[in-house]
Amino acid sequence: MKKLQIKQLIEKIEGEAELDFTFNDGKIEDVKINFGFYRGIEEILRGKTARDALVITPRVCGICNHAHLIAAVRAIEDGYANAGENITLTSKAKDIREFTLICELIQNHIKWLYMTMLPQLESYLDKKSGENYAIKATYLASRITKALAIFAGQWPHSSYAVPGGVTCDPTYVDVMQAQSLVDECIKFFERVVVGLSLDDYLAIDSVSSLHKVDGDFGKLLHLIGDNGMSTIGQSYDKFIVFGDSILSNAGKSIVTNISNVDVKYVSESSQEGSVAKAVTYKNKLFEVGPLARGMVAKTPIVKSLHKNYKDSLLSRVFARVHEVALLLAHSKKLLAKLQLDELSCTLDPHSKLDDFEGVGIVEAARGSLIHKTTVKNGLITNYDIITPTQWNLSHGNETQQGIAIKAMVNSTTIEEATFIFRTFDICSVCTTQ
Amino acid sequence: MSIGNEESVKKLFTAESAKVDTNKGDAYYDELYTSCQKRIEELKKLTPLNNRVDFTESIEEYGLERRDFLRWASATTAMLMLPASFTPLVAEAAVLMNRVPVIWVELSDCAGNSEALLRSDGPKIDEIILDIISLEFHETLQAASGHQAEKQMDEAMEHFKGKYLLFVEGAVPLGMNGQFGTIGAKGETFVDHLHRAAEGAAAVVAVGSCATYGGIPAAAPNPTDSVGVMDVVKGKPIINIPACPANPSNMVGVILHFVLTGTIPELDSLLRPKFAFGYRIHDNCERRAHFDAGEYVEEWGDEGAKNNFCLYKVGCKGPMTFNNCSIIRYNEGVNWPIGVGRGCIGCSEPDFWDKYAYERPMANANIKAPTGGVEKTVDEFGLGLLTAAGIGIGIHAAASAVAGKREDGGEY
Repeated sequence: MKKLQIKQLIEKIEGEAELDFTFNDGKIEDVKINFGFYRGIEEILRGKTARDALVITPRVCGICNHAHLIAAVRAIEDGYANAGENITLTSKAKDIREFTLICELIQNHIKWLYMTMLPQLESYLDKKSGENYAIKATYLASRITKALAIFAGQWPHSSYAVPGGVTCDPTYVDVMQAQSLVDECIKFFERVVVGLSLDDYLAIDSVSSLHKVDGDFGKLLHLIGDNGMSTIGQSYDKFIVFGDSILSNAGKSIVTNISNVDVKYVSESSQEGSVAKAVTYKNKLFEVGPLARGMVAKTPIVKSLHKNYKDSLLSRVFARVHEVALLLAHSKKLLAKLQLDELSCTLDPHSKLDDFEGVGIVEAARGSLIHKTTVKNGLITNYDIITPTQWNLSHGNETQQGIAIKAMVNSTTIEEATFIFRTFDICSVCTTQ
Repeated sequence: MSIGNEESVKKLFTAESAKVDTNKGDAYYDELYTSCQKRIEELKKLTPLNNRVDFTESIEEYGLERRDFLRWASATTAMLMLPASFTPLVAEAAVLMNRVPVIWVELSDCAGNSEALLRSDGPKIDEIILDIISLEFHETLQAASGHQAEKQMDEAMEHFKGKYLLFVEGAVPLGMNGQFGTIGAKGETFVDHLHRAAEGAAAVVAVGSCATYGGIPAAAPNPTDSVGVMDVVKGKPIINIPACPANPSNMVGVILHFVLTGTIPELDSLLRPKFAFGYRIHDNCERRAHFDAGEYVEEWGDEGAKNNFCLYKVGCKGPMTFNNCSIIRYNEGVNWPIGVGRGCIGCSEPDFWDKYAYERPMANANIKAPTGGVEKTVDEFGLGLLTAAGIGIGIHAAASAVAGKREDGGEY
């Protein structure tokens, strides 16, 4: 029995983290995750007017800022509803918000695939292709964020969603421009990412037909499979989703059992030696993110992967890239059904409530994002931001190690463990705020 | 750096340094042209850094037409406030961007400016810009990580000592002896990291609201005691490119200017390049006509909103904010906040959050109109502000705003 402790710095996770590995007999026994970074966004929000959250919270994160905006606006709308002022959004406002949110998820997943997964895996396996993946990431990400900006004005850091709807009033020309950008993204996805038509790709519903996937995604799957990495990185097989979206309804999945969730059972606690808070559901740990959504929604291909490889690195990686296809297809439908003659914003201008409590939930790229706001006399007295990475990176509790830690345990090398760590698509700035 | 009182606002608008001179005379430009030509010839002799791709090859590789590129070059020449005759030089300078080393460090930030740069500006320039700019070190974009990355940065700093442009993203937290932000395996504080990186830099470019003036992290109560780069780094040329996120066009513009002339662009009193921050959002706003006509959005979703009226009364800070968003816009020029009916939040001004507070209409913000006295209404405030600006168009606009109100029956 030989114990060994090694510190490793992890970068390119929208900031950085330090992992302290404890090896026992050549295998990882425990990992401590530390972030050396704190801005105090929740503290800054206290004492500000309720709607200031719409402008401050997106600035928590440069890559999922739009999800923060939507969570913030939903928290205020929920608060109004709790105070007896129900807000009904027009289908136009709902669809535009959904579209812009989808665009953000797509850019995130594509950047993660090209700027994290492929280069990191190639370098870990010592099979560098020398390809400039950043350029590919930029191609798709710049187009889809451009489509987002048509409605939201800019990306990152838009604040175009307001209680009651959205501020933009797009014309058919705007919609056509967005459609053409989405089409370009779909073409790129078909030609470069999967080497299949979108329809053919989406028809893949089991592991047996996975070989059809070509392109860069196919390359990634091969690299994982050919190097015996398909089953590593398993955690507790417990997943949770709080927001309803096209990808999944809210629910939790334990092994394969799906049941309902209620956000009131979510609790946060501070962790020793870390500025990031831990979060649990009924005191239990859960994984959030694309794999969680795929499991709760029972997406056929995700279920099939899970049946063969459990909640492994392969299932996790696949579920995320798979969402790009689902979202691209859905974004086209959304644009096609936009009711431009409806109102953009419906709130009665005379009803400004000064006292309320509300919760806003959104399915962000990395999983469920929750904003809780308490407003008294028009000012925020408390604001809680619970980010997806907090779920996946918690230190754990008395009985269990954290989700990502569990996935890394029993790994024999730091390189393998850090690659597993990255499959969670870590966001450091969100975690610590 | 406070714009919280009357005097400093007045100074801001009337100072010599705030004036934009777009025609400095033939003699000036002839001389500049010759010196730029010389510099470009010198740079051509240097080998490209870091095995960066050759720009001309990239153009072909990405199916970009020479004509498109020249169109970009001519737009950029105009943006840099140079005469059209400089276009071929700007085009040449763009090709030579791989000769000037850039080191990029992230401090207390959200990575939003890096994200913005990743989808930079210009016709398809976004796809090749990463290949062209010689980013010697960028934490998010580089291949190496951990100790290897630190070594790479140290080497780049040593090798390009005195030559590199240091881009800084993020605020500098000074609280708790800098312990609110640490970087690297040794846990170096952000402030120490910045000092070390700045030492050998030719110039320091602070990118985004956080790096320039502290941004959101510095908003009250400023829990981490965050400040901007200019409050920490002394004795170096500093260029501020504020905004949240900073516009990639302006980042590329600064690099390009440096490549072209070997000097930093002309700055205003807040160290912002005048080519980008010489005018207010308001001066070139697409909704300006509605301001002049006294047509405002009163609440989001109202008739005014449907008609793209002026957003002044729902808190737009365009009249107080110097930036070129209204001209170059965001995400490859596709749109900008005012284009989608959400007013300007003033993010390129110091202390923008506490002073401007977006959700408060401007009359209720913690800023006073330069004419003195406490303004009660938005309209009066606007009037005073524009008069103080002392620009012809401003005075004209104020007059027409009054005229607009009169026609309307006077009350607003």
